[in-house]
Amino acid sequence: MNHLPQAWGRPRDDVYGAYDHSYFQTSGPKQSTQQPIVTGTSVIAIKFKDGVVIATDNLASYGSLARFTDVKRLRQFNKSTILGFGGDVSDMQYLDRLLLSLAIRENYSSYSSASDDTDDTSNLESLNAKNLHTYMSKVMYRRRSDFNPLWNQILVAGFGNDEKPFLASVDLLGTTFSSPSLATGFGAHLAQPIMRKVVPDEASVANLDKETAVQTIRDCMKVLFYRDARSMDKYSIAVVTKDGIDLKEDEKLENQSWAFADRIKGYGTQVV
Amino acid sequence: MFRNNYDNDSVTFSPQGRIFQVEYAQEAVKQGSVVVGIVSKKYAVLAALKRNAEDLSSYQKKIIPIDTHYGIALAGLASDARVLSNFMKQQSLASRLTYDRAIPLAEITARIGDRAQTNTQHYGKRPYGVGLLIAGVDANGPHLFEFQPSGVTQEMLACAIGARSQMARTYLERNLDEFEGATREELIKHALRGLKESLAQDKELTVDNTSVGVGGMDEPFKLYEGQEITNWLETTFENREGGAEGGESMEVDS
Amino acid sequence: MAVSCTREVLLEELREAAVDVEARVAALQVEAWTRSSLQPRGGISRELCYDLSNSVFSPDGRNFQVEYAVKAVENGGTAIGIRCKDGVVLALEKLVSSKLLKPGANKRIATIDRNMGVVSAGLLPDGRHFTSRARDEAAQWRRMYKAPIPTSSLADRMGSYIQAYTLYNSVRPFGVTCIIAGWDSEAELAVDGQVGSGPTVGAGGKVDKMKHGGPFLYMIEPSGSYWGYYGAATGKGRQSAKSELEKLNLTEGTLSLEEGVKEAARIIYIAHEDSKDKDFELEMTWVSSLDGPTKGRHEEVPKKIREEAERLAKKALEDDDEEEEAKAEGGERMEE
Repeated sequence: MNHLPQAWGRPRDDVYGAYDHSYFQTSGPKQSTQQPIVTGTSVIAIKFKDGVVIATDNLASYGSLARFTDVKRLRQFNKSTILGFGGDVSDMQYLDRLLLSLAIRENYSSYSSASDDTDDTSNLESLNAKNLHTYMSKVMYRRRSDFNPLWNQILVAGFGNDEKPFLASVDLLGTTFSSPSLATGFGAHLAQPIMRKVVPDEASVANLDKETAVQTIRDCMKVLFYRDARSMDKYSIAVVTKDGIDLKEDEKLENQSWAFADRIKGYGTQVV
Repeated sequence: MFRNNYDNDSVTFSPQGRIFQVEYAQEAVKQGSVVVGIVSKKYAVLAALKRNAEDLSSYQKKIIPIDTHYGIALAGLASDARVLSNFMKQQSLASRLTYDRAIPLAEITARIGDRAQTNTQHYGKRPYGVGLLIAGVDANGPHLFEFQPSGVTQEMLACAIGARSQMARTYLERNLDEFEGATREELIKHALRGLKESLAQDKELTVDNTSVGVGGMDEPFKLYEGQEITNWLETTFENREGGAEGGESMEVDS
Repeated sequence: MAVSCTREVLLEELREAAVDVEARVAALQVEAWTRSSLQPRGGISRELCYDLSNSVFSPDGRNFQVEYAVKAVENGGTAIGIRCKDGVVLALEKLVSSKLLKPGANKRIATIDRNMGVVSAGLLPDGRHFTSRARDEAAQWRRMYKAPIPTSSLADRMGSYIQAYTLYNSVRPFGVTCIIAGWDSEAELAVDGQVGSGPTVGAGGKVDKMKHGGPFLYMIEPSGSYWGYYGAATGKGRQSAKSELEKLNLTEGTLSLEEGVKEAARIIYIAHEDSKDKDFELEMTWVSSLDGPTKGRHEEVPKKIREEAERLAKKALEDDDEEEEAKAEGGERMEE
């Protein structure tokens, strides 16, 4: 037994082998986030004629463990913009605080530029969803260029400069794109085909009413819960319109039917 | 022999609580040639009188377009204005790049105001020797701001700074009620007339010594000089010779 | 000793001089100038050395530059703050220096974070410098603690900041006195960036039945010293404003915010009486409890309420005038 103080608490070499010093490298290239740790799964959103519907479930997974079951991944910014976060939850929290500080700063300037005839300063032009999406894309791209990405894919929903419904995505590389319906993660494979049936192109957005849009999203959430193992049946849904944001954070999937389940074959340990 | 001991730098208060260096800097603004700014419900207009050092030299630039939605007019040290305008251009571009948004005029004005303030509180710095009128349109409509070397910034309906600008201000005050509903052409005429008021007896507004900047809700801020302003000068002062001149002098009498 | 203003001579002079600072300084100057002309000596005359530079004490322990900065404050429009039981109100007499100014624009009461407001009297740009620093402090606090800064801590940090500008001869003191009003949330706030509700069993580090939050009011002077107030006033009309504030019995803590707004408007109108020839605009902001009209945020008092308060203020002034006239008349009659 080695009684030297520097060996205290160390695994014994004769049992575990010599310590592999490559695990504790202080030199060498700087390493940043290599993978997300606690993660949220899909975010899905669809535009309709008066606004946008967006939803996420309330689960934060630690690997395959359903670790936190009341995590709200829709974050509101000001009166008429909402962001849905997929990916790393701690990075989402960082971005949430970043957005809060931005919102506080915006509040300063909207008051100072208010004049006497505009009593309600909240209606003054502030950062809209388009502005915010541009900002987010710069933040994300900057971080990926530092080789230290924020491990998220984000959907930004609200209104653009033209006062029309706005929906766009930005991911950990700073890549941006926009479409009448968007989905991140598994949703891109499982929900997007369903939503595209409803709004195949930009023109069809004008024909979609709120009820159909909300129903489409709810259907998609159900499909996602059926087929995505990192999802759950409690979810948040928000409807953004000119009147503001109607955010519900404690929705439950209704009318589940698992009858299809026994017809699924070819996964895991199942052999027949 | 009286010597004012409190005016050597900008970090000394006089016993009355004044900072003489800052007040002297305000005087530098009055050395510059006059500039006028007016806003209506839809437009923001700047007009300026340009000076040349000698007959064979070019005229000093008085109106600088900063971004597509606004520009500035300066009175005082032109080189100080260039430093400030470069800063404003950078800030405006940064806003467009990071937010895809035209920077609000109140914000850019506050930023140069804050910059000017630091120059009045630290030894070894001097206040800016220039006054600016910042005019243009942002998401909340047309705006006109005045910037002073002290760092004071104020939003105005109409304003004139520079040499003999009191005469222009008097004109603006007298016609203040007409500005809000004025058309683009009317507003430009008011600005030019205001400018004319501040001219020395033997001076005239010509295509060479006059600059006009116009920004509107649906038009980007643009600087007009030379032949482009011939029409405005002609119509503005043609009318004056006729009816308006008479009306004007009667007003003065009353 | 080479320096002509020895400690003894100066102390003597100061004792003899008037109590008023200005008079005292003037006396010093005259005396010094006379002496320097009588006894010319080599090098720079150093008679006035005590008030020409910041961070220099005079022999009786004063920093003249700070006192001069206070003078700058005393020329500014009156600003007041009233701490009520369910919120704080800030009011400002904004003198209108030109007809060409855009009415109602040029706001001077600033928001710090979301739950605090700052109004200043004195040099306008210095007030803005103060505001921008206060906002930075609040943002810095949030980065550090993921929660809004308490009003007391902001006052403390800003007090230190202002004080630093009295320490060095390379800067000048702030020419402003600032009033900070804030409402610290009485409810348990979520940590910034919080996404869930946390454990549902156990105390989770929370102390039960602890009372926190409430209305706060502080005033910071150019020297950097600050106090908490029930009612604070600064600027030109501070004397009359103070005496009116004292009549409100604010220490009892019974005045409601709605009443406070009306009183604030009235006091600004009274404070304006001395500079009646100048036009002014009344700017008012307030911050209330979470169940109050502003929901814990610092906001402008809505136009309707402000105009009503102004109407009452004007009426109160007229009534006062009539009363005085009646009194005067009555007095005359009696004399007759």
